[in-house]
Amino acid sequence: MNKQDLIDFEEDIADCFNNALIKAPVHLYDGNEEQMIEIFNNIKEKDWVFCSWRSHYQCLLKGVPKELVKQDILEGKSITLCYPEYNIYSSAIVTGNIPIATGMALDLKRKGEIDHVWCFVGDMTSETGVFYENHKYAVNHDLPITYVIEDNGKSVCTDTREVWNVEELTYSKPGIPKVIYYKYETKYPHAGAGKRIQF
Amino acid sequence: MNYFDELKRSMTWLGQQRDTFFLGQAVAYPGTAMTNTLAEVNRSKLLEMPVNEEMQMGMTIGMGLNGTVPISIYPRWNFLVLAANQIVNHLDKIKIMSRGGFTPKIIIRTGIGSQRPLHPQHQHISDFTAGFKAMCDFVDIIRLDEPHQIFDAYKYAYERTDNRPTILVEWGDYYSEK
Repeated sequence: MNKQDLIDFEEDIADCFNNALIKAPVHLYDGNEEQMIEIFNNIKEKDWVFCSWRSHYQCLLKGVPKELVKQDILEGKSITLCYPEYNIYSSAIVTGNIPIATGMALDLKRKGEIDHVWCFVGDMTSETGVFYENHKYAVNHDLPITYVIEDNGKSVCTDTREVWNVEELTYSKPGIPKVIYYKYETKYPHAGAGKRIQF
Repeated sequence: MNYFDELKRSMTWLGQQRDTFFLGQAVAYPGTAMTNTLAEVNRSKLLEMPVNEEMQMGMTIGMGLNGTVPISIYPRWNFLVLAANQIVNHLDKIKIMSRGGFTPKIIIRTGIGSQRPLHPQHQHISDFTAGFKAMCDFVDIIRLDEPHQIFDAYKYAYERTDNRPTILVEWGDYYSEK
C-alpha cells in the first residue's frame, strides 16, 4: 500500500460512515501516511503489532487484505480489529494494549524467538502511568519491543499538553530507547468522519 | 492430603508441563504462603514481578498469546482487583474480539486472605468471586473450598479444551486448617 492507497481507504470508510453504512464508531487516520509507511518498512511479517482503537493503517500495512479490513469495519469492528493470522491485536481501552504487548515481548525473548513487537499508542496514552512502567520494564529488561507514539495533540477533544500542564510530552525527545515518536495533524475528528449520523 | 499439600502437588505438576511459566510477586522470592507451594517448581520457570497488578495481568495475556500457559499469581483478591481492567476488558473479551482466533490458555491464582491467627483487616480478606463471575462471561472462576478439589481443578484449568482462562480462588486460612 502506498500513501494514496491509505488515504483512499480512509476516505472510502469516511464515505461509508457518513452514509450511515457503519453502525459503530470508526477512528480514521490522516496526515501520517509517510511516517507509517516508514515504520512499517522495518516491521517483518511475523512481528507482532498491538494497536489502539485507531488501527486501519496498521492492518493494511501489515498485509491484511483491504477488502477484509473494510468488511470488518462495515460489520462494526473498527475499534477492535484483531487478526491472529497477521499477529495484530487492537484494543479500544486506553493503555490496554500496552502490557499485553510487553508480555508478548517478554515471551519472545524468553523463548529466544527473533520476532519483534510494535506497540502503537497516542499522545495521551504515552503520558499515563501504564506507559511509564511498561516502558521502564521493557528498557531495563531489554525486551524486543518498540513503542510508537502517535501525537495528534489530543485525546478525544482534550488537549493533552494543556491538561498535563506541559509544553513538551515526556517521550517526545529524540533518543529515548525503544520509542519512536512522531507528530501529525489530521483532518478527521476523534471519532466518525465529521458528519452527525442519525440511524 | 491436606489443603496445602494439594496446592503444592498441583503447582509441582503444573511446573512439570512443558509450556507453563509462573509469574507474580513472592514467586521467586519468599513472602507469602503461596511461595511455599512452589518449592518443587524449577526456578527457571519462576519470574518475580514488580508490584504492578495490571501490568502483570496484561503481560500474562501477552505470554498466553505466544503459546505459553502462564500461571499468574496474586496472593489476594484485594490485589487482583487492581488487574480488573485486563481481566474484564481484555481477557474476557479477547475470544469474541478475534472471532475465536485468540484463545490464550491462562491460569490465575488468587486467594481470600487469612484471618487467623492474625487478622489483616478489611482491605485484605475480601472474596470477590461472585462479583467477578458477574462481570465475566468467558473467564471461568473456581473457588477451592475443599482439599479434594484442588489438584483436579488445576489439572482441568491446564487441560481444558475450551481454552477458557481460569481463576482459581484459594482460602488462606485453609492452608493450615484443612
